[in-house]
Amino acid sequence: MRDFDYVVPKSLDEAVARGKQAEHRFIAGGTLLVDLLRLDVERPAALVDLNAVLSERISWAPNGLTAGALARNSDLADHPDVRRELPALSQALESGASPQIRNLASLGGNLMQRTRCAYFRDPGVAECNKRRPGSGCAALEGYSRMHAVLGGSRACIAVHPSDMSVALLALDAIVRTRRSQGGREIAIADFHALPGETPQVETALEPGEIVTEVFVPASGFSRRSAYVKVRDRAAFAFALASAAVALELSGEKIATARVALGGVATKPWRALEVEAALLGRPPTRETFEAAAKLAANGARTTPHNQFKVELARRVVVRALERAAA
Amino acid sequence: MLVVALAPNFDDPGEEVLEALRAELRCLGAALLLIGTDHSFCFRPDDELVEEPSTDELRLWAAQLFRAQGVESEALTPETLLLGLLDDGGSLRWHTRRELDGDPSLALLEAARLAAKSALAPAPIGVLSRREVVLTSLIGALSLVLLEGCKRSEPQRPAPSASAVSSLAPAPFEREVTLNVNDKDYRLSIEPRVSVLDALRERLGLTGTKKGCDHGQCGACTVLLDGRRVNACLLLAVMVGKRKLTTIEGLAGPAELHPLQEAFVAHDALQCGYCTPGQIVSALGLLREKRATSAEAIREHMSGNLCRCGAYPNIVKAIEAARDAGGDALPARAT
Ligand SMILES: Cc1cc2nc3c(=O)[nH]c(=O)nc-3n(C[C@H](O)[C@H](O)[C@H](O)COP(=O)(O)OP(=O)(O)OC[C@H]3O[C@@H](n4cnc5c(N)ncnc54)[C@H](O)[C@@H]3O)c2cc1C
Ligand code: SF4
Ligand code: FES
Ligand code: FES
Repeated sequence: MRDFDYVVPKSLDEAVARGKQAEHRFIAGGTLLVDLLRLDVERPAALVDLNAVLSERISWAPNGLTAGALARNSDLADHPDVRRELPALSQALESGASPQIRNLASLGGNLMQRTRCAYFRDPGVAECNKRRPGSGCAALEGYSRMHAVLGGSRACIAVHPSDMSVALLALDAIVRTRRSQGGREIAIADFHALPGETPQVETALEPGEIVTEVFVPASGFSRRSAYVKVRDRAAFAFALASAAVALELSGEKIATARVALGGVATKPWRALEVEAALLGRPPTRETFEAAAKLAANGARTTPHNQFKVELARRVVVRALERAAA
Repeated sequence: MLVVALAPNFDDPGEEVLEALRAELRCLGAALLLIGTDHSFCFRPDDELVEEPSTDELRLWAAQLFRAQGVESEALTPETLLLGLLDDGGSLRWHTRRELDGDPSLALLEAARLAAKSALAPAPIGVLSRREVVLTSLIGALSLVLLEGCKRSEPQRPAPSASAVSSLAPAPFEREVTLNVNDKDYRLSIEPRVSVLDALRERLGLTGTKKGCDHGQCGACTVLLDGRRVNACLLLAVMVGKRKLTTIEGLAGPAELHPLQEAFVAHDALQCGYCTPGQIVSALGLLREKRATSAEAIREHMSGNLCRCGAYPNIVKAIEAARDAGGDALPARAT
C-alpha cells in the first residue's frame, strides 16, 4: 500500500474544507476504502477521518427514522424500531457483507460504496472509464456475468453493489449532507448517478460534501416492506439480483407499491412499471407474477448476464409475497 | 526479490505499461531496477517511479550479476533487453534475453510476466526487513536515491537492523499511537497505512491473528474491538484510538483455555487450523451478540469466516457446546 497522510478534522466545516483538497478522501469505517487502497485503485495523498465529526445516533420518531452517517450497519440492522417499522432496511443491511464488516461499516460509507466490477478493482487492466476516464470499458467486451442489465451506457455497465441503498430507495429516504454553502437534502432517487458518459461521477455529492444523516419517513407502506436477495452462495456474497418492496393495502387492494431492484442495475433501480401494474389489484401471486414481468423492461443484456432478467422477476415475486404475508 | 533489467536504449515505460508492471511486481513481491544507458528507473509496485542518471558502478554491478550466469552484457547490442530475478540470497535465479524489435516497453512487460511465471515460490506482497537488509548490502553500489525508491514498502519488523533501512527512507507520515491489546498498552510509531492486522503481527509479535485474504473476505484476521468482532485487515491502526482490542492471545486464562477454545478442541473443529483463531474470536463475538440461537443461525452469523478445510460442521457443534456452557464471557482482564 502506498503511503498517505491521515488527518483528523476538529469540525464538520474543517472536514468539508479538507475534503475539497486535491487527492483527499474521507474515511468512516474504512471497509471499502482500505480495500481499494490495498488494491492500489485509490491513491490518495491524505485520508480525512470523519469519525470525530459525525454522529452514530439512531432515533425513531412518529414521522420516521433519523440515523447519523456513522451509524454502523450492524446497529442499524439490529435496532428494534428499524426491525419493526422498516423491515426492508433491516433485512437489506443484514444481507450485506459479514457480521465483522457490518460492525465497522457506516451508513454513509455504505451509500457511497463503489462497484465490485473486477476490472475496476484491478489497476493492471488498462480500460476502465470509471477508474481512468476515457480509457474504455473492459467489461463490455469481457466477462460480464456480474454486470448491470439496466441503466448501463456505452461507457460503463458496472453494478451498484449496495443492498441498503436499494431498501432506502423503496422507502423514499432523504440523504442530508453538508457542503461549504451549508446543509442540503437529496432525495435518495437523485443521490446515485447513472454512468452515462461520465461513470467516474457516482453520486450527486460535490467535492468535499459530506453525508451527515439519513431520514426515512414513516409511511403507509414502510412497515409492510421486505428485502429479498439472491446470490451465488447462501451468505456473504454480493447480489446477483435483489428486490426491496413495500406495499400499502386498502381493503383487498394494493393502494401503494414500491419496488426497487439491486444487483441488476448501475444504480439502485426503481421499477416504476411494476409498481403501476400492482395498483388496485389484490395482493395475490397472480398479480405479483403479472406485474413482475415488467421488472426488467428495457434491459440490455450480454450473453453472460442474460439470466439476471428472469432472476430479477422471480426475486420481485418472492419479495412481494413476503411483504404481503 | 529484485527484478533487474538492463535495457540500453530505454526512455520511459509509459503509464499503461507501468500499471501492468505494477501488477506483475505485486505478484512477485519484488521491486524493479531498470538500468538504461543514461537513466535508471527503480520502483516498487506501490510507489512512484524514481529516475536517476545511470552510474558506472551500477552498470558494472549489473554486468557482474549477469556474468555469473554466463551472459556477457557488454557484448550485447543496444537492441537487447536482459532481465533477471535476484533472490534474497543475492543470486540471479532466472533470466531472459529479448531482442527489442517492437515497443521496448512491451518487451519489458513481457519479460516481467515471464519472470512472474518463473518464480516458483512467489514472495508475499510487501518485503520484510530481513530482505531489505540483504538488499541493502547487495546493492551497496547503487546511488542512495535509487535505493530509496526500492526501499519504501510495507511495515517492517522492529529488527535492530531495520532502523538502518528506515533511516534511508524517512516515513513522512509516521506517528505515535498507543494500542490497547488484551488490556495492555503498546506504544508504536507507525504510518497511517498500517492495518491493525499488520501492527499486531509485524510490530507486536502477536501472530495468533492470521492474514488470509487481507481484503475482508475470509475472517482469518477477526479481532474484537470494544468487544465487537471486526476484520483487523480493514481497520487502520491509527483509527483505533482508545478502543480496546482483544485477540486470540487474550482469550485463555493463566492456566485454562477459554470455553470456546476448549470446545473447538473437544469437537475437533479444525483441520489445518489456519482459520481457527479467527473462527474462535468471531464465535466469541457471536455469542456476545446472543444470536447463536440455532445451528442455522450460527451458520448464517459465522458466514464472515471461511474455512478452506471445510471444518464447518464441527465448528457449528463447538459453538453450540460453548454457548450451552456459557462461553460468551470475555476473559476477565479484557472486559
Ligand atoms: C468482503 C466484503 C463484502 C461485502 N459485501 C457487501 C454486500 O453483500 N452488500 C453490500 O451492500 N455491501 C457489501 N460490502 C460493502 C460494505 O457495505 C461497504 O464496504 C461499507 O458499507 C462501507 O462503509 P465504510 O464506513 O466502511 O466506508 P469507508 O470505507 O470508510 O468509505 C467508503 C467511501 O465512502 C466515502 N464516505 C464515507 N463516509 C462518507 C460520508 N459520511 N460522506 C461522504 N463520503 C463518505 C469514503 O470517502 C469512501 O469513498 C462488502 C464489503 C466487503 C469488504
Ligand atoms: S463496467 Fe464500468 S467499472 Fe467495470 S470496467 Fe467498465 S467502465 Fe470500468
Ligand atoms: S485477512 Fe482479514 S478478512 Fe481475510
Ligand atoms: S481448519 Fe484449515 S482453513 Fe479452517
